[in-house]
Order: sequence, then structure tokens, then C-alpha cells
Amino acid sequence: MIRLENVSFSYANLGPTVRDLSFHIRKGEFVAILGANGAGKTTTMKLIDGLIRPTSGKVTVNGADTRETPVSQRARQVGFLFQNPDRQICRNTVREEILFGLQTVRGEEGEEALKQRVDAVLEDFHFTGDEEPFSLSRGQRQRVALASILAVEPEVLILDEPTTGLDYLECCHIMDRIRRMNEEKMVTILMVCHDMEVVLDYARRALVMAGGELLGDGDVRTLFRDTALMERASILPPQMIALGTRLGIAEADTPETMAEAILSRRGGGSA
Amino acid sequence: MREIFQYVPGTSLIHRLNPMTKLLLTLLICVAAFLTGNLFVLLGLLLVNLLIGFCAGIARRTLGVFKGLMKIAVFLFLLQVLLTRKGTPVFWIITDEGLYTSAAVVLRLIVVCMPLTLMLAVTRVSDLANAMVQVAHIPYKYAFTITTALRFIPQFLEEMSDIMEAQTARGVAFDKAKGLKKLGMMLPLCAPLLISSVRNTEHTAVAAEVRGFHLRTARSGFRHYPFHGIDVLTLLAGAALIALSAVI
Repeated sequence: MIRLENVSFSYANLGPTVRDLSFHIRKGEFVAILGANGAGKTTTMKLIDGLIRPTSGKVTVNGADTRETPVSQRARQVGFLFQNPDRQICRNTVREEILFGLQTVRGEEGEEALKQRVDAVLEDFHFTGDEEPFSLSRGQRQRVALASILAVEPEVLILDEPTTGLDYLECCHIMDRIRRMNEEKMVTILMVCHDMEVVLDYARRALVMAGGELLGDGDVRTLFRDTALMERASILPPQMIALGTRLGIAEADTPETMAEAILSRRGGGSA
Repeated sequence: MREIFQYVPGTSLIHRLNPMTKLLLTLLICVAAFLTGNLFVLLGLLLVNLLIGFCAGIARRTLGVFKGLMKIAVFLFLLQVLLTRKGTPVFWIITDEGLYTSAAVVLRLIVVCMPLTLMLAVTRVSDLANAMVQVAHIPYKYAFTITTALRFIPQFLEEMSDIMEAQTARGVAFDKAKGLKKLGMMLPLCAPLLISSVRNTEHTAVAAEVRGFHLRTARSGFRHYPFHGIDVLTLLAGAALIALSAVI
């Protein structure tokens, strides 16, 4: 679905931001890109969407080279949720906002079909449609931005720190909705996130980056348990994983499994 | 585009001038451009601008600004040439007076716009604000307002670029449209830009207030901006430009 082959990119007057990146993401995967600030995560996501073109190497989405098709044409295939929802929102009501994205990408479907899509998304996200986006809270604006992207039903969803600035409940609400898209409609998810608990809860695969290079690629839990890798990438793994690693309980990654593992150890010890 | 208003660090003679000298020289060049209608004087003023840029070690920036202004100038020149009816026709509907007036208008536009960007490239905005307060005795809150407005320009440009990027990712064909069509597509984006600008302004105001902005007076600055001989010479050169423009 998404393939990067020896991709490097440099911004003008700066050194390379990403270096020799190669990986392949299959349809329906939920992948998190992890790394400290300046590791090249957002640049990698922009390269995948074609917002920037690689200095060398090749990026393909569904076999098409991102250099050969304009970004706007790929919008039906790839949805991009930016960290700041205010950059995406440009209409006066939530209904108009959702309709705007649909008209741009699926205009040929006709007014009635688009209206039905908008109504379905509004109901799903618990909006009446008459709300003014800029009067909503930050979390609600993030939901409006997500709703307008999901209305288009893209095959790939790129999320740039989707939970930044959200409270726990709002964060769960948005991430659960994204997981549903991934599981029910096989939408490929690519997410940059600094909240490792969220990554552990939702992503199945992780790409670990540092200094523009790919340091690790694999199962989220396995990578989190690789202490040397986490140190090199300046990442603090989720608390339960860190505790489990220190106690030598590899299988525990939630408070429940940790408690069970400790109790069974105690039981084993006393027996 | 976004970096044309940003400071370029340097140690050139132009960089070391008093910020007020640079501001006054900018104003003098602008006034000189409006005082004259003579093409040669305007060309001379343009050369002065380019020379200042080269002497300040910002040749690339200077030529970049010049090229950007030339694009607007060509459009304005054509419009003016085609709309001016006075004078003797030299070709089709184009008259000699039309050519002369149009050349003067676009040259004046370039000469007036260049010094401001050059001044901002060689002067830190904070130095400009402090010098305004200490030398010109402008109340700090007005100096702060002026410099903040200048500081916001590159921020707005960056914000607009990010908004356009986000909209392109949603399928708005900014990457294919050109000219007036692109401009038409940009108009709806003024709403998010305006809202984020108001938010930024409010955040800046609150941040300034909580750091004791209202306590700041002319005596608060620890840096001093004395006038040196070179500042006097520069201002005399500026006055000479005014005199030249008024006479010729």
C-alpha cells in the first residue's frame, strides 16, 4: 500500500531531515511513528502524502509515485489530520465544513448522496451540524477536522499528533473512532504520537526514528521492551512496559496483566 | 516569501548603524522617490537600494526582493501602459507618455518597497523598538505595537502556507491552480487565518501583560543606541538624496 525506498529529504539550507528511509506498510495496518522532536516523523508523513517530494528515493501509495500525482488528486485516497485543527477548518458551520471536503473530493456523487454522507457523519460524531466550528472547544474542533476527513472515506489516514491538547476522554473518543475505521473498514492508519500509552493501546506496529533515520520497525510491545533502542531514540516507554522490563515480566503491559503476573509469581514462590 | 521580513545576522557597517538611522534612511529614500518623477533619479534610488543590500552582505535577499517586486511591476506596467491615453502614440494604443508614466510608477513602487524589507533584514525588531523609545521618545506601547505588527508578517505568511498545505491535503487544488484562480481559492482561507491571527494576538497580549508589560518605561531598556559619525554621514547622504530628487 505505502512503500518508501531509500528516501531522503532535505529542507533548503538545512542538512538532511530524513535519511535513506525504507519500509512498507500494508493495507489495514495501524502504524505509529515514534521519536523525539526533530526525528523526522512529520517530514516522513508529509513525504507519504506528497506534500513534500523526496530529494532522493521513491515514495509510492497504491503503486503510484507521489512525485507524479498532485496531492489534491490523492486526497480521496489519503486523509491527513494535522496537529492543529484550525488549519483545516475554513467554513462557518460543522455541516458546511464536512460538506466542503466531500464536494472537493467526491463532488461527482451528486448533492443528495453527499448530503446523506454528511448526515451520517454528523450523527456518528454527535454534531447537529449548525455549530460554529471556531466557537467549539479544541477537542471538538479536532473532532470536526477528523469528521470532515473520515466523511471522504480515505484508504489511508495520516494523523499528526491527533491527541495533543485533548483531555483523556476526548482523546479516547477520537482514538476509538479511528480504531473502528481501521478494524471495520481496513483503513490504513499512520500516526505520529508522543503519548506512548495511546500508542500502546491503539497501534500494532511502530517505526522508531532518530536523527532522520529509521532505528526500529516491528511490533509495538517488542520495540517498547528494547531498552537500548528506546534510549537511542530518546523515548520513555509506557509505565507498565518499563516496570515489566525491570521486573523481568515480559508479558505484562496493563495493570491487570501486571497484577496477575506478580500474583502468579508470588503464588509460585510460596508453593 | 516568508523570510523576506526576517532579520539576517551580520556585522556589516549597515548592520552596525543606529536603528533610528536605518529607519530614517528608509523614510528619506521613500520621500525622495515621491518627490521626483525623473526616471534617472528613480533608477539612481534603485541603485542606492541595491548597493545598501550588497554592502550589508544580503545580496541574495536583496535580489530576491527585487525579483519579487519585478513580477508585480511588470503586471502594473502593462496595465498602466494600456490604460494611459495621453501623449503621442508610438505603437498600437501605447503612447510615449504612457510608457514614461508607467515606468516611473513601477520604479517608484520598487524604490519605496525595497528599503523597508532591507531595513528589517539588517535590524533586529527589538533594537528598533528600544531605539524608538530611547532616541525618538516614542511611548513604549506604540513602539511595541509597531514592531509586533512587523513581527507578525512572517508569522502570517507561515500560517497561510500551513493552511494552504492542509487544504491541499484535503483535495483543494492549490498545487494545480495558478494566478487569479489560485487567488480565488485562497479567499475562503482568510477566515481561519483571521481567527488564528486574532488568537495569536490575544495570546501575545496576555503573555506581555503577565510579564509586566504595563510597568515598562523608557528607562527599562539596558541597551543604549548612541549616534556615531557614520550615522550622521548616512543621514546627510539621505538628505542629499531628498535634495537631488526635489531639484531634478
